[in-house]
Amino acid sequence: MSEYRLIHRTALSDKQPVDAAGISLTALPEGHVIHVLAEQSADMSATLEGAAAQTHSVRYVAPGQWFIVGDEPLADDAMAALLTRLTPHAAGVDQSHGRVRILARGPMVECVLAKGSGADLALSAFAVGRSTTTLIGHIAAHLTRVEDNAFEIMVLRGFAESLWDDLMRMSAEFAE
Amino acid sequence: MASLVSCPHCGSRPKEEFTVKGAALKRPAPDAGQERWMDYVYLRDNPRGAYDEYWHHTSGCRRWLVVTRDTATHEIAASRDAALDVPETRA
Amino acid sequence: MTSYRLQKGGLIDRQSPLGFRFDGKALSGFSGDSLASALLANGQRLVARSFKYHRPRGIQTAGSAEPNALMTIGTGGRTEPNTRATMQELYQGLEAQSQNRWPSLNVDIGALNSLLSPFLGAGFYYKTFMWPGALWEKLYEPFIRKAAGLGKASYEADPDVYEKCWAHCDLLVIGAGPAGLGAALTAGRSGARVILVDEHALAGGSLLAETGSIGGATAAEFARQAIAELESLPNVELLTRTTAFGWYDGNVFGAVQRVQKHVAEPKANVPVERLWRIAAKRALLATGTEERPLVFGGNDIPGVMMAGAARSYLNRYGVAFGKRAAVFTTNDSGYALARDLEAADVELAVIVDSRADTAFVWSGKARLIKGAFVSDAKGGKSLSGITIWKDGKTETLAVDALAVSGGFSPIIHLACHRGGRPVWSDTHSAFLAPEQLNGLSLAGAVNATSGIAACMAEGAARASALLGELGFKVEPATFGAVEGDIAAPSAKAVWSIPGIKGKAFVDFQNDVHRKDLGLAVQEGYGHVELAKRYTTNGMATDQGKLSNVNAIGLLAEARGVSPAEVGTTTFRPFYTPVSFGALTGAYHGDHFQPVRKSPLHDWAAKNGAKFVETGLWYRSSWFSRDGETSWRESVDREVRNVRLNAGLCDVSMLGKIEIVGADAGEFLNRVYSNGFAKLPVGKARYGLMLREDGIVYDDGTTSRIEEKRYFMTTTTAYAAGVMNHLEFCSQALWPNLDVRLSSVTDQWAQMAIAGPKSRTILQAIVDDDISNEAIPFLAAQEVSLFGGQLRGRLFRISFSGELAYELAVPAGYGENVADALMEAGKRHGICAYGVEALSVLRIEKGHVTHNELNGTVVPADLGFGKMVSAAKPDFIGKAMVNREGLIAEDRPQLVGVVPLDPAQAFRTGSHILAKDAAATLENDQGYVTSSCYSPHIGSTIGLALVKRGSTRHGEDVMIWNGLRNEYTPGRLCSPVFFDPANEKLYV
Repeated sequence: MSEYRLIHRTALSDKQPVDAAGISLTALPEGHVIHVLAEQSADMSATLEGAAAQTHSVRYVAPGQWFIVGDEPLADDAMAALLTRLTPHAAGVDQSHGRVRILARGPMVECVLAKGSGADLALSAFAVGRSTTTLIGHIAAHLTRVEDNAFEIMVLRGFAESLWDDLMRMSAEFAE
Repeated sequence: MASLVSCPHCGSRPKEEFTVKGAALKRPAPDAGQERWMDYVYLRDNPRGAYDEYWHHTSGCRRWLVVTRDTATHEIAASRDAALDVPETRA
Repeated sequence: MTSYRLQKGGLIDRQSPLGFRFDGKALSGFSGDSLASALLANGQRLVARSFKYHRPRGIQTAGSAEPNALMTIGTGGRTEPNTRATMQELYQGLEAQSQNRWPSLNVDIGALNSLLSPFLGAGFYYKTFMWPGALWEKLYEPFIRKAAGLGKASYEADPDVYEKCWAHCDLLVIGAGPAGLGAALTAGRSGARVILVDEHALAGGSLLAETGSIGGATAAEFARQAIAELESLPNVELLTRTTAFGWYDGNVFGAVQRVQKHVAEPKANVPVERLWRIAAKRALLATGTEERPLVFGGNDIPGVMMAGAARSYLNRYGVAFGKRAAVFTTNDSGYALARDLEAADVELAVIVDSRADTAFVWSGKARLIKGAFVSDAKGGKSLSGITIWKDGKTETLAVDALAVSGGFSPIIHLACHRGGRPVWSDTHSAFLAPEQLNGLSLAGAVNATSGIAACMAEGAARASALLGELGFKVEPATFGAVEGDIAAPSAKAVWSIPGIKGKAFVDFQNDVHRKDLGLAVQEGYGHVELAKRYTTNGMATDQGKLSNVNAIGLLAEARGVSPAEVGTTTFRPFYTPVSFGALTGAYHGDHFQPVRKSPLHDWAAKNGAKFVETGLWYRSSWFSRDGETSWRESVDREVRNVRLNAGLCDVSMLGKIEIVGADAGEFLNRVYSNGFAKLPVGKARYGLMLREDGIVYDDGTTSRIEEKRYFMTTTTAYAAGVMNHLEFCSQALWPNLDVRLSSVTDQWAQMAIAGPKSRTILQAIVDDDISNEAIPFLAAQEVSLFGGQLRGRLFRISFSGELAYELAVPAGYGENVADALMEAGKRHGICAYGVEALSVLRIEKGHVTHNELNGTVVPADLGFGKMVSAAKPDFIGKAMVNREGLIAEDRPQLVGVVPLDPAQAFRTGSHILAKDAAATLENDQGYVTSSCYSPHIGSTIGLALVKRGSTRHGEDVMIWNGLRNEYTPGRLCSPVFFDPANEKLYV
């Protein structure tokens, strides 16, 4: 069935973006997400800096773990090359379809997220570039502050629609 | 209503992000004998006061922690990574 | 008409009149009024009937402790009973209804209870309704339920939205009175993150009712300027209309903000109430005090009011609480009201001061009687006079309003919420907060400090000190001179008042009077916790804010001990009632719990799936087709079709974990009971996971994808638990193994393709050779799909017993691939099948699920004895799995069961009895763990855990369902009903 045309069905394809002065919500492209798992106390800084210097962004997850993310899907050979670059002290697990990224941006973004998360996300406590995983309401999500007023929210694909609906409700008062 | 657990990696977080497993006991050697194993699997001290417990930051960094918690007041004196034994940095 | 609006004064906007209704009567107030002040301004003194005796009641306070003025606000789904009129802001069109009266507030039949009051004392219910017991359910309980309670909740759904949120700060200041403002200004200027909460609409606390001045400005103007400064500071958040109701672990405070409870029509997208959880590094309690009532006869008659409240209505709202007033006080605060009443030209008939030796110099016009008590108040629905007792002689005086001050109780509730006990102070005649509170300090009147200047200075000093602990350097704020403040230093409390004739109330809301407490002591319930329950003192919605300390004082006197010895009952959250709406937040209806959607959800839906909730997942139960009238019809068809042709089932919900690292193989060897060390690359193996106690925990297959990369599947139900468990093993038990885990459940859309034609169908989309030689049973390979367009993982594993595969593809392509398989399989008769058919297929094959892995079985019980490795030095469960009881001969073992008559059925959960045994617990042999109708066998079949089951194949038994009284003669058999030689698996 080589004539069959494959269609990538995105998790949030049914959702309309929110674009208001106080807050905007956008489903980011389902490009690539690679879960990097390093050996204990391996120094990955050079490898990760190398990845960040290219088209990728690097997000801290936990000790010895990062996500390498980007908006463009990686072709098989590019993925293989990236995974090889992580060796021998780390392995990568492809999560490009397992995680969905949402961008929440606007002056009210901290207020919106405070309705779900008990993490202190004030700029003074959580600077641009910081990442953490936290519960947003009942759903665990990985947050990265990408700008003073913008967070990338990464969530398990199966929960993406539910989290989107929750974020919509949390944003409602600022999205009139 | 609310209470916080400190995670050495993530800072203070609501307890809803965590799963508690119970007493942080050292697993006996496989050949330690039935008595030691019965103690490990079934017997607990249940003290009033400081107690070392395993807590998992399930909805956070997913690390297992050893949390020293007062069973009467819930005051948390220390929390460290179960594997790395990282000293706690309290916020 | 005894209370009335003054011509001038008050912090109300006389240019903004607001119309409202009370019991249907149209009334008018001003913007800035509370419902209570507006009612008083309209001369409406009778506002409620009491709980038990239906006595006429009026407004007693100006704040959240109000025991009497509870009313139902709003209409329809917005109906809110038991709202305190003193806390409800007035808005245009507000509808208020009085409660607990019939047919009307003025003429209330229930008031007959008052005549019966000699029989309705404390313990009445306990004593009266004891006997006969049979009447309890039919008569007494319905009667009591009907009589009990105040307002009624609406049956309509609340149309408004609520939410919860978190906040973080360096310093939380609770209360925006003199001490709170002093603290907040100090902290705000330091740059620290500050949150200031106050339960009223207007911050300022007692300053709003003051006539004195600070630095030349009126107290209210000072408060206004302080608030303006705080609002200008970006590091300060001021939350008014916000009640801090509890102090919790980790220095988290619960607070509820009434965002839109003061507006006629709430905005739809904005919550009406918001529940805050405030994580504070330090907190300062500046909650002030509660003025105590005095316990004299008729102290509940409308027109009797707390002195501080009367002053608040006078100065803040421009309302006089009567035309001819009296003041009865035990301390200096009564004189502040007296002075202000005279300044406002309200006639003040008398000041009764309980202290014979008072040093206060009264220079006003009103007569002052020292060393005297008001022993009784007279009147029905409104106060008409008082009796003054002095040295055994009495005098009556006609007045229509009486202000009372029995001293002050610091509002220490929050300080006691984490187990600390209040400490009685003889010096202050009050219970004070426990000392050494971790993270919480007190300042101002709540700390028994008196006077505006002292409170402000203490607030500023405490804030400076607390922030100093956090590394902020800030000098305490200083303020201009305070003038005209009548501070009220602590005075000796007065519990028993001489000469009382009438009913003297202690707890107004629960109608507990002085004699009830005496009775409690007399009958042996003098302990404070017992007296509370015996009399119900302090158990109403106000939780005894006005009554508890008086009750303790009276109990102490009756027992001849100090209040310190009586002690207090336990302070618990919530400080004031919190609505269920706020506690629920947005988590109801569609947001009650998240939905977890399979990447094949939409594929299933368009193929006619009927979904069932499995945890948070929605799984396809079965796929109904046109003409099918019952679920069984659909399921039977799906089962037959899988055995005959092929079927496709969504198994994306299985837990999937990628395991990498040099020691991944060793790790698997330790977490599974069977051996995994020698699993070759490209192969899958069934694994059994035990708990440390030897009981089976979970099962699944694990495949070796690469040398140091494995792919584990778990059951759907235990997916999260297994991941947590593996993380525990790798991090806490064996941190020195190099093993790293990533949950890939959501990465892959996984489908089972089962049935004799599955290979043919699969080959249509798989580029690689998938013949039996290339992909034999238990092969696990990465494959290329659609001419190299996609890579997937193909596993030759079977849950159904048929030739079968599981194909995993990246989730975003799942629907597309499933569509392609259905298309390719159309001419081979493929069907979609759901978990019901999946279950039938696996029962026919004798495969276990968590029905059988029920937390009591060990591998040998399931016939998996060989899966417990004897060779491995260690694995989870090894030490305990061979304990005495777990290897006993008569343990329940997995067995099949069929009815003797194929036309008869039985149910899961039915018990197994020996053939002729009586249906008793002693004769119970085990139970049916799974059952279904098997199209293959042509009858109901079951799996059961039965004593010594593996040795009893062929034995006739009785299948007994005691709940439904069903008896089905049956026969035990092999649990494998289908293809016992596994011929189909290897074709």
